[in-house]
Amino acid sequence: MSAMELLCIGLSHKSAPVEVRERLAFGETRLTEALAELRHTGMEALWLSTCNRVEVYVAAEDAEVARARVLAQLASAGGEQALSHLYEHRGEAAMVHLFRVASSLDSMVLGEPQILGQVKDALELAQREGAARGELVRVCSAAFGTAKRVRTETAIGRSATSMASAAVELAAKIFGSLEGRVVLLVGAGEMGELAARHLAHAGAGRLLVCNRTRERAERLAAEVGAEVRDFAQLHAHLAAADVVVCSTASPLPLFTRESVAPYLKGRRGRPLFMVDLAVPRDIAPDVNSLDGVYAYDVDDIQKVVAENAAARAAEAERAQVIVAEEVVRYSRARALRDGVPVLAQLRARATEIASAEVERTLALLGSELTDKQRKSVAAMANAIVNKLLHQPTMKLRATGSASEPNRLADAAAELFGLDAADDVHVPQAATTGVRSGAKQ
Amino acid sequence: MTHSLLSIACHAYGLAALVYLALLVRPVEALAWAGRLMVGGGLLLHGVALAFLWTDQGSLPVGMAQGFSTVAFLSLAIFLALDVAYRRPVLGAFVTPLAVAVLVPGVLLRGGSSPLDVDGRQPLLPVHVSVALLGLAAFAVAAMVAAMYLLMERQVKGKKFGLLFARLPSLQFLDELHRKLVLWGFLALSLTLVSGAFFASRSPGGLWQWEWKTVATLVAWVVFGTTLQARMFGGWRGRRVALLTMAGFGILLLSFLSSYAPLGGGAFR
Repeated sequence: MSAMELLCIGLSHKSAPVEVRERLAFGETRLTEALAELRHTGMEALWLSTCNRVEVYVAAEDAEVARARVLAQLASAGGEQALSHLYEHRGEAAMVHLFRVASSLDSMVLGEPQILGQVKDALELAQREGAARGELVRVCSAAFGTAKRVRTETAIGRSATSMASAAVELAAKIFGSLEGRVVLLVGAGEMGELAARHLAHAGAGRLLVCNRTRERAERLAAEVGAEVRDFAQLHAHLAAADVVVCSTASPLPLFTRESVAPYLKGRRGRPLFMVDLAVPRDIAPDVNSLDGVYAYDVDDIQKVVAENAAARAAEAERAQVIVAEEVVRYSRARALRDGVPVLAQLRARATEIASAEVERTLALLGSELTDKQRKSVAAMANAIVNKLLHQPTMKLRATGSASEPNRLADAAAELFGLDAADDVHVPQAATTGVRSGAKQ
Repeated sequence: MTHSLLSIACHAYGLAALVYLALLVRPVEALAWAGRLMVGGGLLLHGVALAFLWTDQGSLPVGMAQGFSTVAFLSLAIFLALDVAYRRPVLGAFVTPLAVAVLVPGVLLRGGSSPLDVDGRQPLLPVHVSVALLGLAAFAVAAMVAAMYLLMERQVKGKKFGLLFARLPSLQFLDELHRKLVLWGFLALSLTLVSGAFFASRSPGGLWQWEWKTVATLVAWVVFGTTLQARMFGGWRGRRVALLTMAGFGILLLSFLSSYAPLGGGAFR
């Protein structure tokens, strides 16, 4: 009876440049396929894909097999080069990593709120695809609980500037103030919306929204008080804009040096600040070489953010303590949970034996005994079972300081010859037991 | 008397320069005020010293030392006015060291030769000289602001977020300030040329003489004029204009120096 081991393989803004990350940035269809492939091998999987990270979490009985499969998938999408940027965490380390990621302690912008929603979305997709069932769902909900604690108990979220507010900060270095500036939003997704709100808050004069599907642009425009512009005429809007914020899912750059250059004449030398929050990038790197154009991609923005990261370091330390506490708590709960099915099985088996023996004894003694005596015999058998199992029960419930699967429970199962294969009908084992579920 | 006043002022400026450089590293409001007070106090003493010189010499302070001294005085006065108006003390980290660099040789040289002959002295001449020096000071500050722009632009463009990136004002502010300074400098320079032509026409050599000073000043005037035109009508901004301003200032500096140390007969006769 081996336990599910948690494994995390991935890369992030800390380990890989945007060139590598954008190759692994899957759309929903690709994600679904990847999840389906992993699911078929019997493991649980969750695929987290944001503009800053691509991480695969799997819970599997054979971690080595799972690892090989995930690596094969990543290599086929990102090439051999991507493999050199990967990091791996196992067991408790993987759990700590997930908790830190969900709590935004591993984010490019420390404490930014979006990542929690992104992990939730990833879990939702994995559940919908049947790839996340027991273990991953529980680990994730513990991660969400941790994130909530971090948010409410530390100031990390309050001082958090998201990518969008980092962009606002950068704009201030170019324009001084955003007052009266025209902002062109390309892409009306969640990122775009966040950016729009930040820019409007910073006093941007006019907001223009361009989106491939016009309806979405109109919806966002109505929400933040922007004007919708035609996506087909994207470059023509450059003449009016001071700040361009891109966050589309376009696989190819929308703006290149060649496509932007002709539209700069109409700007009469006004500086143009272009922010690319998308991965894969919407703005080709060579756009930055144009005179008066300042193009920033997500990695550049990270550098800006690193500037004022020091202030949040202290809060991050406090948050780190919370993460550690939550990991210990989850490990205990998990060990207990691992112990419970074994316990129930053990108890069921003992009760079964006892009642069988009582029945046999009573059948032998026949009618010699009074009703009261019959009851006494049954009570004695029960008492023996209870007294014998008392100590093991306490022990099995108490273990769980270690993050590893409950070894005592494994030992007990081994010792008493209990296994899911025995198919003892214990209700708890069917509802909470990951292992019995996974084995069938 | 005047020399000791000037020496004290010079020390105040030197200290202010250090304070402003420290401000670049640690942006503390107290340092900004210390710098303002030191530059203000220095200007007061410096102004008294210059006034003594003017009265001492009857009409105007001439000679290289006074010329340098006056340019330093005017540059710092412009800086202080800008700092009071815009609250950008970081400008001081660039202007005060320059002013000290200009002033110190003047203090050490003392006196020096006079570029103007006695017979050239006329009642309107002080106006010509003052306006010329004011223009030069305005361009000196403009060149410093242009240098700040170039440094900041390099950081923003190259995404190197160093100390200067954190401390320097926005590109827009620097560009706009630079534009204003060049405009005022250009007006002063034009006035200098007109008044200079007026004196030249009354001098024995006639209106036009092939002199370093005149030629260099005219070239600088054309450079700045073109810059302003390009800015107004051609949409030129930022880096290109900043480089032009620095070039123009270099030419003007050459003209200024040549009027004291004549290269092939620099002065009006």
